[in-house]
This record gives sequence, structure tokens and C-alpha cells, in this order.
Amino acid sequence: MIDHTPAIKQFIVEEFLPDVPIEELDNDYNLLDGGVIDSLGLLQVIAWLEETFEVALDDAEIGPESFQSVHAIQAFIAQSQG
Amino acid sequence: MTGAGDTLALPERILDHARRRPTAPALVWRGRTVDYAELAELALDASRYLGELAPGERRPVGILTRKSPSAIALILACMLARRAAFVPSPDLDSATLRRLFAQAGCSHVVSPGESFRDAAWEADVVPGSCPDARREAGLMLTTSGSTGPPKIVPLALDRLDRFAAWGGRAFAITHETAVLSYAPLNFDLCTLDIWTTLSHGGTVVLVGHDRATDARHLLDLLSAAHVHLVQGVPMLYRLLSDGARKYDRRVDSVRHVLVTGDSIAASALVGLTALFPNARFHNVYGCTETNDSFACEIDMGKVAAGGEIPIGEPLPGVSALIVATSGDLVDGPGEGELWVATPFQTVGYLDASLNDGKFGPHPKARDGQTYFRTGDIVRRHDDGAIALCGRTDSLVKVRGLRVSTQAVEQALLEHKAVVEVAVLAIPDALAGSRLHAVVRRAEESPLDSLVLRRHCVERLDRAAIPSTIDIVTRPLPKTPTGKVDRRRSVYDNSRRSAS
Repeated sequence: MIDHTPAIKQFIVEEFLPDVPIEELDNDYNLLDGGVIDSLGLLQVIAWLEETFEVALDDAEIGPESFQSVHAIQAFIAQSQG
Repeated sequence: MTGAGDTLALPERILDHARRRPTAPALVWRGRTVDYAELAELALDASRYLGELAPGERRPVGILTRKSPSAIALILACMLARRAAFVPSPDLDSATLRRLFAQAGCSHVVSPGESFRDAAWEADVVPGSCPDARREAGLMLTTSGSTGPPKIVPLALDRLDRFAAWGGRAFAITHETAVLSYAPLNFDLCTLDIWTTLSHGGTVVLVGHDRATDARHLLDLLSAAHVHLVQGVPMLYRLLSDGARKYDRRVDSVRHVLVTGDSIAASALVGLTALFPNARFHNVYGCTETNDSFACEIDMGKVAAGGEIPIGEPLPGVSALIVATSGDLVDGPGEGELWVATPFQTVGYLDASLNDGKFGPHPKARDGQTYFRTGDIVRRHDDGAIALCGRTDSLVKVRGLRVSTQAVEQALLEHKAVVEVAVLAIPDALAGSRLHAVVRRAEESPLDSLVLRRHCVERLDRAAIPSTIDIVTRPLPKTPTGKVDRRRSVYDNSRRSAS
């Protein structure tokens, strides 16, 4: 299982937290409750996942909680590519 | 003590002080004191100058200059001659100035030199000015222009008189009081700093335009001139409290500190109790059109705890209404636009076509008053306290929700490390608008957007959290009246990061 967390972190920081040092973002930090990703941001994350990891996002099963932290996104990719 | 002076109008009262206490200090300017006799003499010189420039002229006088004793004497001379004095910001571009001087009906634009006697004053005839524009004597100021072209606001002498009477009572301004005049001459704040003080025979301590951001100079001036009253926008207090910390200073003479002109960040006030240990702190709310309408003493204990700073109670003689978007009055707790009628207010913009929708009668009752729609959204809390929460013209739709960009700014300002902020709605195909924030943080603070976003979550609806936040340490660009220029803040910043 490839660890995508560095790439995920880099994407989140570049897109949403450009002034934040990458090491400051904890893998379990709740991006939704922390006001980092809103519903528009979620669309950006999903578009990036589709493009980068070629995961097919069938919107039936996924809720925002699938993207609430770096870890959650990593788990989501793992599951989709499963 | 007062007596005869009370029946005189404002400019004559100033001359009366000169007669009764000629050697009392009227102005402190660049290290020297101008006493009342000298101020009266300067005003008479200015009267002669105006008389020779255009004998018998009754039209307003345009005054294009920065603050100085000569400028104050010139305005006083206009008041004594019962000619209106139009004082726009000298920072406006020349085309706007030309248009405003003509619209005001000025016969001439006078630019008095800084030197005291018979200086190289300049005067120009105003082309295109109405040949018989006689306005009521007093001051003509302009609105800030942050929401459109500046509008001319005439403030007649009797209104200034009433305001001076209130200001004197509210802040105990007498012939023994020294007041700092920090704001530029074209600001409405001068009706208190300069004109109320002089009408009570007090001393006006003038801050020169070129020294306005020199904290050390300001602290020296406050101490040396034994200033009792300071009035200013939050920016001034930030400057003073930072300076006081850096140079380890305090000023014992100050009795009243008036914060005005802006929503207040608690962070701008925290150092002030140490700097002014003997002062009472007041939040004063007003507009150029109405002059001050609300005031309340600030509970500095609450400020330290990060509490909201209310605007308080209407001043004596002021009527205030909260009007909901439905047009109904909000009698109890709730939110709506603030309408006020004050004894000090203008009769309306000089261009009467601008008054529609801004000045009008009580929406439900006939009380004979003319109300000014402030455009400020306020909330009355359960305990009756009224607090500012935004502007009617700052409402935007983000993902279908109405969001006040000003409320977002206010929420960001509540963070201790935030010094200044500009929030602008940027059109977005998906969201309608998305919010972009430029935040200036305190230089020594490690504040980043991760922390700031968490701070927003605790205070704002999700839709109101800015999509993008730029954190900077340099001062944000300002309008000529010292408010943050939102467009330039955002535009300059995006240009900088693109380059």
C-alpha cells in the first residue's frame, strides 16, 4: 500500500493553506471542522483525486467525512483503488 | 464662569475667550504655543485677506490644505464672516477636487501657507461655480468616498454649536482642557477635537500630517502638552500601544480616550490601560451626516476577555430606530439597519438628489424628525446593548446565503494577532461570490491561516469563512479618510503574489 499522505498534505496546503508550513498540518487534523475545506473546497479535492489517483468517484457512497482529514483521504484512496 | 459666552455663536465664543483670557494657550503646533490673542489676530488677518480677495463675496470658501494654525484661523475667519468653509481631503485627485469645489459653490480655493503671518497664501478662482451659491455658514465636509464618489455634507453653525455643547458636557472640556487633534482637518472628528475645544476655551494640540505615524513623537507630544483627551480611530491606538510597549512609556494626564470611526478590534485596545492609567475609555459612534449619535464607556475588563464592544446608548436628544429589512421596527432584541436623528445632523447632502433613500421620516409614526439611514446593521441584545454587525451595502450572497463582509472582517479582527483586515467578495461561477480576505497580523505573531480558520469556525457560518486568506505583515492601503481600502488591499496583494 502506497502512502499518499505526503502528496495529500502538499495538495491541501498549496490549495487551502498556502502560508502554513507543511509539517504543521497534522494527518488527523479535521479539515472540515477546522474551516479549511468547505463544500466548494470539497469539489476541488474530489477533482484532484480523480485526476491524480484515477479513482472513480461514484457519489453514492461518499460523504464529506471521507475527506475530513489527510488520513481519511488516504484511507479513501486505498479503499477505492482496493 | 461661563455666562455671557453661552449666548454667542461658536466663532464669537472663540473671540470672547481671546478677549477674556488672551494669553491662554489655544493651539500647540510644532513645539510652539499660539495663545487665544494670537489666534484671534490670525483670524482677523485671514478675514482681511478674504475681503481683499473678493470684496462683498458671500459664497463659500474652498480650503485646500493640511492642518496648521493658519488653516484653523482661515476657517474661523469664514465662520466669522458667515461664509461656509468647504474643506475636502487634499489627497483627492485634482479632477475630483475641481468638481467638488464647483459643486460646493466656492468662489475661491485658498491654500494658506504654514507660516504664521502674511504668508505666501495662494488663492484660485473656481471655474464653473454657481455665481450665487450662498450656503448656510458653517463647515462643509465630505463623506469618505469608500462606497462611491465623496458627497458634500453641510454642517451649519447652529448644529456645530449644539454639538460643542454636548461634547463639552460629555467629556468635561473647559478652558483647562488640552485635547489632541490627530485626525486630518477634513475629518468630522475635528468638530470635537478642534471646534468644540476652542469653543470652550481649551487647548488644541495639533499633530502634523507628516508626524502622524511617528509613535515616539505622539507619545512625547501627549506628555509634554499634558493632553487630557484623545480621540482617534483604532489605528491610532494600535500605534500608541505598540509605541508605549517599545519605549516603556505611560501618559498620566489623559482622562478620556475616545475610540471612533471604525469597528474596534479588542487587540488594538489591550495595551491602552497601561499607557493611560487614569483614563476612561469611550466608544463613540457617528457618521459625517449626523455627527456623533451613540457613546458608551468601554469596559476594559471585558475587552481583555475578548468581549464585543457595544456602541451604547443614543446621546441626549438623539432618536434611534432599528429597522428590519421588512420595514418593521425592531423594538426588542433583534437585527436591522440603524436610523438616527440627531440635534447635530446635516440638513442633507448638498446635492439634494442624493438624499433619496438616505434621509427620510420615521417609517411608522409621525414624529416630525428627519432620520438618516446609516447603512449600518446593528443587533440589539437581550440586555438592550446595541452592537454593530455590518453594513447593508456589504451583504453578498455566498452559496445562496446572505453574508456581510463586514461581519466577517469583525470576526477576523476579534483574533488578538489580527491588526487590519479587508474582506472582498469575488464573483464566482459556482458560489455566486466567494470571499477573499487579506489579513495583516502583528509582526511578532506566528498567526497562520490554519489557526485563523479555526478561529472563524467558532464565530461564523461556514459560508462566511473566506475561501482564501492572505496573511501579510505590511499595513493595508487606506482611503483618504484612513479606512482600509478593500479593493486596493485585495488587488495590490494579488498583483504582488502574481509577480
